[in-house]
Amino acid sequence: MSVLDRKLVRDLRRLAPQVAAIALLGGIGVAVAVMANGALTAVVVAQQRYYARTHFADVFASAVRAPRSLAAALRRIDGVVAVDTRATGGGLLDAPGLDRPAHVELISLPPEGVAALNRLVLAAGRMPAPGRSNEAVALKAFLDAAHVSLGARLTATISGREVTFTIVGAVLSPEYVYSPSESFLPDDAHQAVFWANRDIVEGVTGEVGAFDQVSLELSGDTDPVRVLPQVDRLLAPYGGAPAVTRANQPSNRFLDNEERQLRTLTLMLPPIFLLVAAGLTHMVMARLVETEREQIGLLKAFGFTALEVAVPYLRLAAVIGLIGVIAGGVAGVALAAALTRLYAQYFRFPAFEPQIDWGVYGATSLMAMAAAVAGAGLAAGRAAQLRPAAAMQPAPPVAYRRGLLSGARLGGFLDQPTRMIVRRIGRFPARAALTVGGLALSLTLLVSTQFLRDSLDQVIDRAYYRAQRWSAELTFFHPRDARAVTEAARLPGVIDAEPIRAVMAWAVGPAGRKQIAIMGLGPQAVLARALDAGGRPIAFAGDGVTLSAALAERLDLRLGDKVELDTLEGRRPRLLLPLTGLADDYSGLYAYMDRRELNRLMGDGDLASGVNLLTASDQTAGLYAAVERRPQIIGAVSRDAMVSNWRAQIARSFSTSILFYLFFSGAIAIGVSYNMGRITLAERSRDLATLQVLGFTRGECAYILYGELGLLAFAAAPLGMALGIAFSHALAAAFAQEELRIPVTISARTMAFAVTAYGASVAVGCLMLQRQLWRLDLVAVLKTRE
Amino acid sequence: MPEQTSGYRIPHPRGELAFHVHGLTKVYPTAAGDVRALDGVDLDIRRGEILVLLGPSGSGKSTLLNILGGLDRGTGGEVVFEGRDLVKASDADLTRYRRHAVGFVFQFFNLTPSLTARENVELITEIAEHPMKPEDALELVGLADRLDHFPAELSGGQQQRVAVARAIAKRPEVLFCDEPTGSLDSASGVQVLEAIVKVAEETGATVMMVTHNAAVAQIADRVIRFRDGKVAELTVNAARKAPAEITW
Repeated sequence: MSVLDRKLVRDLRRLAPQVAAIALLGGIGVAVAVMANGALTAVVVAQQRYYARTHFADVFASAVRAPRSLAAALRRIDGVVAVDTRATGGGLLDAPGLDRPAHVELISLPPEGVAALNRLVLAAGRMPAPGRSNEAVALKAFLDAAHVSLGARLTATISGREVTFTIVGAVLSPEYVYSPSESFLPDDAHQAVFWANRDIVEGVTGEVGAFDQVSLELSGDTDPVRVLPQVDRLLAPYGGAPAVTRANQPSNRFLDNEERQLRTLTLMLPPIFLLVAAGLTHMVMARLVETEREQIGLLKAFGFTALEVAVPYLRLAAVIGLIGVIAGGVAGVALAAALTRLYAQYFRFPAFEPQIDWGVYGATSLMAMAAAVAGAGLAAGRAAQLRPAAAMQPAPPVAYRRGLLSGARLGGFLDQPTRMIVRRIGRFPARAALTVGGLALSLTLLVSTQFLRDSLDQVIDRAYYRAQRWSAELTFFHPRDARAVTEAARLPGVIDAEPIRAVMAWAVGPAGRKQIAIMGLGPQAVLARALDAGGRPIAFAGDGVTLSAALAERLDLRLGDKVELDTLEGRRPRLLLPLTGLADDYSGLYAYMDRRELNRLMGDGDLASGVNLLTASDQTAGLYAAVERRPQIIGAVSRDAMVSNWRAQIARSFSTSILFYLFFSGAIAIGVSYNMGRITLAERSRDLATLQVLGFTRGECAYILYGELGLLAFAAAPLGMALGIAFSHALAAAFAQEELRIPVTISARTMAFAVTAYGASVAVGCLMLQRQLWRLDLVAVLKTRE
Repeated sequence: MPEQTSGYRIPHPRGELAFHVHGLTKVYPTAAGDVRALDGVDLDIRRGEILVLLGPSGSGKSTLLNILGGLDRGTGGEVVFEGRDLVKASDADLTRYRRHAVGFVFQFFNLTPSLTARENVELITEIAEHPMKPEDALELVGLADRLDHFPAELSGGQQQRVAVARAIAKRPEVLFCDEPTGSLDSASGVQVLEAIVKVAEETGATVMMVTHNAAVAQIADRVIRFRDGKVAELTVNAARKAPAEITW
């Protein structure tokens, strides 16, 4: 071991706490990258393997009722390699133990046993035996969540008919890796999917020899978007709804979205940590070179070259970086496994293993090392430039001169210790700026990761307490005469009932088209309303249409424009209506208008497709029991259940992540304040010891040390908050989906929490300095030159 | 702060006893055995006298200065200042003692670089009970025209005179000077000694000065020579010389 190596080891030991703080930040940067990428790769790999194994389709389409013979025509479309048709029906399921009926989707299994596409993976039990009409397999997530065991007999009302199945198997399906409910979060217990033999499904749905859903597999080089119009053309005579690509399949879209969020995380967080680590490395190395200038001069006087003198500092920084890289790698692998386990609760893959992306680890490690070495570069350069003669002189005392921040300008109102604080900040503005920047980033991180909770709260408040104020929503199998509303009003516990008419349609504007639902509401409706940006209900006038603001923006439509609505029901009239309002809703893409006007334009009588209810909360059990017995009702949604499910899931995911982010942000604030304090203490120790000799108490000396940190931390707070708000907007944009816009709202409570945690972290950094401050050698200062 | 009473501000007429040192020892335990830095020192110091401590390195003179200055505690014996034994005083007592009764001048000045000459003095007058005005203290050491200069803008001798002004601005009972001319040239050193003698005469402070420089001994009332932790010789100068009369 060379002498310089030994010096390296001793420097590392002497600077251990500072080295640890910097290595921790670099390590977090690496760990976050490894974690997020590990989870991302895990999802991508599991998704790809699952899709390949089960022949997950590339294109999905549906019709009201198309003959099975149409499959051959679909198969002949250029690029199509496989076609799978099936009959499906929806309804309500009464599962024992559930407070309200679950929605059930019934899907037919082909007689040959194995579907061409979207194949099931049997997790337990067996598939329905051929010819056994009363057997079904069910989605494993539903069976687990609703506590239904194999062998159970469940009765459902599907397409208006009552049918009882024995559950013989639990399955996974590539179409239901993630099952978003109406609230965009899964509600597994109330989202059942059954697969049964084709003959019984066709019997229940009345679609003998016909299908209503079709999926296509394309050859690898075929652009799915090119196939869609041909599929639509073939299905159009049979009430076909527009075909969609895999990208718009609900489960797959959520997976893609999650992957996008993980990528954002990987791109946003690690650079913050590496940046702060580089800044701290710079401060510590600059100080080290300053204290070692006499030794550097000596080495140069002995004939060492500039490079030989500078390289040890770069090596020290590289070793600090390396410690972070190794620790971060280990932590990252463990965190990736933990995050993957967390995802396994939401994403139902048959195989879901943590993956380590070594390429990303390598790239992030290089970045971390580069950040550390770059941070030391300036200091090493200064060491290289020191002239031997000058270096062997002690450093000239820090020259404070009259000018800015000196003399009268500080006024008479500051005491001397405070002047010492202010002047030092003025004397080392770059260092103060680095400190402020680092501390601000700590607060930024907290604010920009906690805002989401407030924002989702606002979404819930706006969607379920202001715009839609119903407590239960019933959906009819077919649109029914509005007199059905009177019937619904007589259900147990119902206080008020309002009809709605929903019609699926394409909304067309200059910028494109989008599939949406037209919501026909009563002009005086109170249970469901469209609200403007100010939260005021928007009045419907004649055939005027109100669009979700996000939809209007996407289609490039403005108030007063004509909106083209190509409806997809009945005779499918094409409507051209004036845009009279913009609804500031956060979820879904809708057109709102007067229900009666919508019915008239559709050429229908006074129809309702569902009904919104205001119910007495103590009679919900009776209500749902009554609803289950009514075959015309295929959907029943409880607002309270939906909201509490939403809140519970948000709370669960936030309670884990808040710990992470508190740790991350605390590491930055503590690392910056401790390192900055160590340097200040080292430079000020002579000052502070002198003051103690002159009769200042330790508390008064602590004020000079901590006052500076406190002032910088205080200055960093508004910057951190402002950056946090800016980051929140960027994140909201990155996390938002077309169906779920995220408003940026930051409550006073969240801000107070972030600022308190930030202040506490800075205080911890200060407390870690306490011991050094208390151990100043008073006698030594009398004898030593600085 | 001015209303707080330290208990160390009882006026004493010149010539009365300031310190009574009796059997003072200071032992540093080391791996090679105990080192007796002070080995039974007996000494009475009178108010207003100028005392110079001479002796080779390690003779114990600085150790005595540190103990009398409240920076360190003796291992045994007693140091009585205004009725209190500094050997038995608590940390807080010593801080209070240093804050109100004692002024220090260091070899390397130890000024706060971020404060001007006036502010370096104000640093102390802000915490003292009956301080002089900082301007008066600087006037006393001949720096009335350098009030707003930062240390980096002053010569070594000027910086040390600021340190003297800082030390006496609280009107201390005792002024401790540790090699005050040690890092100055002869001419600057004489100016600093003149400042010390002048303020001692005007404020009635006792001055205790440690030095290697035998020439400086000529300005003292009494000269104590240290050897091996003991007072080897105590000389009384029949007539003190003015600093301007000496040279080295």
